[in-house]
Amino acid sequence: MAANPELKEKVEEVLRENRVLLFMKGTPEMPRCGFSMRVVGVLEQMGTEYGAIDVLPILDPLREVTGEISDWRTFPQLYVNGELVGGADIVEEMFESGELAEMLGVQQPDAAAAPAQPETPANPQQSPPLQVDGT
Amino acid sequence: MIAEALPGSEVQVLDETGSGDHLRAVVRAPQFAGKTRIDQHRMVRAAVQARMDDGSIHALSITTRPSR
Repeated sequence: MAANPELKEKVEEVLRENRVLLFMKGTPEMPRCGFSMRVVGVLEQMGTEYGAIDVLPILDPLREVTGEISDWRTFPQLYVNGELVGGADIVEEMFESGELAEMLGVQQPDAAAAPAQPETPANPQQSPPLQVDGT
Repeated sequence: MIAEALPGSEVQVLDETGSGDHLRAVVRAPQFAGKTRIDQHRMVRAAVQARMDDGSIHALSITTRPSR
C-alpha cells in the first residue's frame, strides 16, 4: 500500500518544523507502550525540547509514510534534524554512550547510567493529532 | 541468515521470552564500519525480513557492534 500523499506531506512539514521529533504510542504524559516510554524517559533526562506525535490514531497510514520516508515502520521513532535516529534500543544506546547528547548539543546528564525513568515531562510540545481527509 | 547476508559477522541470537519468536540479535559485522546505528539495524533487519514476513519471528530486538 502506498502512503497517503497528503499525510506524507504533513509529516514532512512537521519534521521540518521540529528539530527533535518523536513519533510515539500515546503522549509524553501518558505513553501507551513501554518502548515509547523509554524514549520519552531519555528525552526528559536530556532536557531538550521536542515535539511528540501520537501515532495510535493513524497507525497504519503512518507506518506507510515512515516506511517511505525512512524505511522504518515500527514506533517509536526519534528524528533529529529530519533524520531518523532510531527506536528505543538505539536511543538508549546512544544516550548511554553520550552520542545522543552530542547530537542534540546538550550536556550529558550526570545520571546517564541510570535507567531511563520518565519523570513529569519538563516541557513537551504535543503536536495536534495529524488528520487527513477520509480517515 | 544474518551471517549469510553479512559475511564475516559474528551473530548471537537470544531467545528473550523462551517462545522462539521474540528474539534479540547481537551482531558484530565489518560492514557496520562508518554506518549510523539505524543503517546497521536496517542491514540486520533486511537479512531477517523473510522470517518477519512469514511470522516465524514476531519481534526482533537488534544490538549492533562494530567488528572487533
